[in-house]
Amino acid sequence: MGMRTSPLRAVARLASLSIVGVAGLSWLAPIADAADTSTASTTSTTVAASPTIVVVKTLTPAERALCPTGTRATPGTPAEAKALMNENGDTARQNAGTAYSTVQCFNASGQLVAYGNQAIMYHLPLTNSVTLALGQQLYLAHCASCHGVDAQGDPAAGHAGKYPDLTGLGPATINFWITTGRMPAADPTDVQAMRKPPKLTGAEAAAIAAWINTLQPATPFVPSVNLSTANLADGQSLFALNCAACHTITGGGDALAKGTYAPTLHWATPTQIAEALRTGPGNMPRFTGNLSDAQVRDITAYVTSTIQHPSNIGGLGTGGLGPVAEGFIGLALGVGLLMLVTFWVGDRQ
Amino acid sequence: MTDQHIGGADDHGALDITKVSADAPQMQPLARNPESMERWIALLFIVGMVCFVGFIVAYWQNLAYWTYGAFLGGGMAALGVGLVAWGKYLMPRGPFVEDRHPLASSADERSALAAALVERGGGTVKRRKVLGALLGGGLGLSGLAILVPFVRSLGPLPGDTLAQTDWKAGLHLVDINGRRIHRDDLALNGALTVYPEGFEHTDNGTAVDQTMLIALPQGQNMPRPGRAGWTVDGTYTGVTLIAYSKLCTHLGCPVGLYETKLQALVCPCHQSMFNVLDGAEPTFGPAPRPLPQLPIATDAEGYLIAQAGYDQPVGPGYWERP
Amino acid sequence: MTAARTRRQQKAVAGPYGKVGQAVNELDDRLGIAKGGRSFLDKIFPDHWSFMLGEIALYSFVVLLLTGVFLTLYFVPSQGLVQIPKNFTYRPLRGQWVSQAFYSTVNMSFNVRCGLLMRQMHHWACDIFVGSIVVHMARVFFTGAFRKPRETNWLIGGTLLILAITNGFLGYSLPDDLVSGTGIRIADSIMLSIPVVGSYISFFVFGGNFPGDIVISRFYTLHVLLIPAIIVGLVTFHLILLVRQKHTQFPGKGRTETNVVGSPMFPVFMAKTQGFLFITIALTAALGAFVQINPIWQFGPYTNISDISYAVQPDWYMGFLDGLLRIFPAWEWNAWGHTIPLEVFIPAVVFPGIVFNIALLWPWIDRKFIAKDHDLHNLLDRPRDVPRRTAFGAAFFALLAILFIASSTDVLANFFHISLNTVLWAMRVLTIAVPLITYPVAYAICVEMQSGGSLIGKRKTANVVMRTAEGGYVSVAAPYRAEDQHHELDATPVPTFIEGDEPAVDELAAATPGVRTVER
Repeated sequence: MGMRTSPLRAVARLASLSIVGVAGLSWLAPIADAADTSTASTTSTTVAASPTIVVVKTLTPAERALCPTGTRATPGTPAEAKALMNENGDTARQNAGTAYSTVQCFNASGQLVAYGNQAIMYHLPLTNSVTLALGQQLYLAHCASCHGVDAQGDPAAGHAGKYPDLTGLGPATINFWITTGRMPAADPTDVQAMRKPPKLTGAEAAAIAAWINTLQPATPFVPSVNLSTANLADGQSLFALNCAACHTITGGGDALAKGTYAPTLHWATPTQIAEALRTGPGNMPRFTGNLSDAQVRDITAYVTSTIQHPSNIGGLGTGGLGPVAEGFIGLALGVGLLMLVTFWVGDRQ
Repeated sequence: MTDQHIGGADDHGALDITKVSADAPQMQPLARNPESMERWIALLFIVGMVCFVGFIVAYWQNLAYWTYGAFLGGGMAALGVGLVAWGKYLMPRGPFVEDRHPLASSADERSALAAALVERGGGTVKRRKVLGALLGGGLGLSGLAILVPFVRSLGPLPGDTLAQTDWKAGLHLVDINGRRIHRDDLALNGALTVYPEGFEHTDNGTAVDQTMLIALPQGQNMPRPGRAGWTVDGTYTGVTLIAYSKLCTHLGCPVGLYETKLQALVCPCHQSMFNVLDGAEPTFGPAPRPLPQLPIATDAEGYLIAQAGYDQPVGPGYWERP
Repeated sequence: MTAARTRRQQKAVAGPYGKVGQAVNELDDRLGIAKGGRSFLDKIFPDHWSFMLGEIALYSFVVLLLTGVFLTLYFVPSQGLVQIPKNFTYRPLRGQWVSQAFYSTVNMSFNVRCGLLMRQMHHWACDIFVGSIVVHMARVFFTGAFRKPRETNWLIGGTLLILAITNGFLGYSLPDDLVSGTGIRIADSIMLSIPVVGSYISFFVFGGNFPGDIVISRFYTLHVLLIPAIIVGLVTFHLILLVRQKHTQFPGKGRTETNVVGSPMFPVFMAKTQGFLFITIALTAALGAFVQINPIWQFGPYTNISDISYAVQPDWYMGFLDGLLRIFPAWEWNAWGHTIPLEVFIPAVVFPGIVFNIALLWPWIDRKFIAKDHDLHNLLDRPRDVPRRTAFGAAFFALLAILFIASSTDVLANFFHISLNTVLWAMRVLTIAVPLITYPVAYAICVEMQSGGSLIGKRKTANVVMRTAEGGYVSVAAPYRAEDQHHELDATPVPTFIEGDEPAVDELAAATPGVRTVER
């Protein structure tokens, strides 16, 4: 069921930590990203002599400041990540998109409300009686007709095989689909839902996400990317290796197999980019665990700065379509105009 | 209007003098108002000169990028249009005619040339056939000999290297930054490009060893005969990790496009589609063979290693590929 | 004797043509240019607009040469790695390790004034160059200008097309960026697909395994030195043949197989063609200034060979190969320990081989199957009068056009929201069907145009509607207006002397005889 707030939670966590540390379960992934690409390293745990021993250090004031006011900051633990596991499984790697991050922030009731690091902070949408009531009301009005009254989905219906079960996917998933306008779906029988102007506001999306999260709490929370520390060059090479294969190197998107397509990246906000990377919507792979938060931050910065504002110093961009468009212009405008000139220069008999 | 041919015209361009009166209609300009046309052309030439000066100023003052080409193009266009207009509207409108002198020489000349070749040349060789043949052989061999260093020194012989990658038993899988991959690193539906440890920054590493590591839902993979142990399961992440060569078997493009719901690897170049659950069997498009699969296992600490190299050459087909 | 002459004495020596006459005399003493020079200046060029298409190719080649020289002053043809400075203008490239070829090109684009303009003009001129060769070749084909005695020129032209396409591919591969690097990878696989010798060719070209460290500099040598030298030589020979054989012309008033009607080389044709050179440069400069082409900084370097982008295409003139590679079925021959990847070998090696062989050998194919004559032809055919040739050419171009379209299957699927799989199957069907349909349709159009009377293709006159007294309406075709009709004068020979154009007369001396004027 849902997470019950308990005053003893902190004590229990400390105890489990030591057990875990001593027992050395094999799913405790290596702590440090030894060869992180970003020049500003954000992982703050030390490299352990053996990957099975968790060395918990105290947080620096800068790291403490990452938590929202009124919350308590503690160093990240794997247990919290496991407790909040996404229905689709999660990574054991630290600072790679799960609650096992540099810092975790708990509210007065002992509920995890945020986690993350200098690169990205993930926040739980505001969860109180008002937002939950609003969220449920909005859900019933806009979503329940396909996804069911209790968000469990409908396996048999829909073109794509089912109207998915929305529980246990984390608030970021819900927030992504609503804020990009893909949901509520214009045509539920479409192979792939299209981005369109969102029907619900960001606050409404957050309320719905908060309510669904109470049904089965999970991560990832809604990311907030710290673009100021990003390294654009790393972002470019990561984008070329991981993203360009579907979205094209200029981010324009294109048709993929069997009616699916990679959408253009020109409208995505930093939050939506990080959400997509961390949740893997639709046919997109999920980049949790294989990319660290620093790498996601770098990619997000690259997309929002360079992909969305390309450096077209050479004149009008040809739509990022590549040589096909350039050839068309060269033939139509170049050879075509010159042929028109020959009409003037020569005889037409 | 008069064309007096003084001296007559014969085949090979004896002096062919023609006189045409300056009043002849063909000598008049085409323009209805030549003076006005002249003013327009003069204006164009002035605009052209201004544009070229503008180009120099734009360069000197480092103005916006588009001004360089605009001034250069504008100047050239003005000059060009003016010049064409001059030729078309102000110069004699014509049309003029000239005769085509037959290309062919006279029959005598032809037989003279043939005779020179056959009687002079052929006779020589006919009388000294052996010499001729040996010369022919020598010239042929000289050409071959000269070609040899030009061609053979270009590169090494392929040998076996096309069939080999750097993957060997026990080598760790690493990402592009050299970080080892743990069995629990990838969440479900994750995809990552991996290389053998130590080779991730070599040309061969990225060109030939490149491998796609994919996190499938557990229980969906249908391994081929003999490949049952070639995957690694996550401990608690609910995934089966499977590794395929990233080189498309069509033309060698990296198959980096993974569609998670379709469970297909799609090659971005020519859209071959490979079924990830069925040994990367091609289901659509021009690729002829499935992507080779890398057998993976874990070391004592849970990091992924290769059990062995690929069991077949990776990438596109070639003659020596068995 | 040769003491300082007075002006009048000098004038007397020089004759009525002044300094120019003197220069002609001096040159002719040494080089014997007078007779050949005069016949050269008298040469007649027919004026039809379609005869200028080859000039588009020639002048865009001039632009290529001029801009290319600029580029060679900055480009470094090396695959050796260099780290881009941390303060480089374009932020996403800062600190990255890239090849010197890539860095020198990007540096030229951002930090050399007019560098990007030269790069873009060079690339646009290349697209126009290949396009105009194709258009020019089509004109020659459809009008039958390749017939005797011009088969050699056709062979030279076809070879020039192959060289132009090759050089274009080599050229845009030089900056070693992600998009063109992928093209080189595909080219390597195509080489590998050749039976028996494929792996040897690949290893010899790349100096070992792909990517090696020498292929860019080898491409550079080919692109800058060897192929342009061959092109310049062939173009020169092409033009010499044209001058010697004289240009063909359409049949018409006063035009026969044994004359040429048009404008003389000097001054008319020189003015027009020189003007056209400037216009070509102007258009290339305008494109280079306003329309971006090949922005390699957006693509990034090709240092990591496992990088790839979706929607990568070759430049347009290689598009027909890419299209056929996409739609070809996955046939691979595998037996006796050897493999021939037919799905690569046939589209990328056999098919272009057949296409270019048909193109180059067309004069002889035409003679055997279409025209069936061995006569000299200096008058052109109207395409409608040779329906089989025209229909075959139309079908041929239709096939190539479909293959070009097939190279953008993903763009089409994306734009029209159709499944990619559907588009691919549609392209396979269209590749077979469209040429088969085009031939009879084009044939029928030609036949119809032949018998359609003299009004086809002409500007129609207005229909004057008049009302009769009974109230009915009658429409009558109005006569041609004077300005709509093509009036051509009878052709006259090129004048050696123009009567009525006397050398300038000293008016004062003529008006006051007996007075001696002294020139100082």
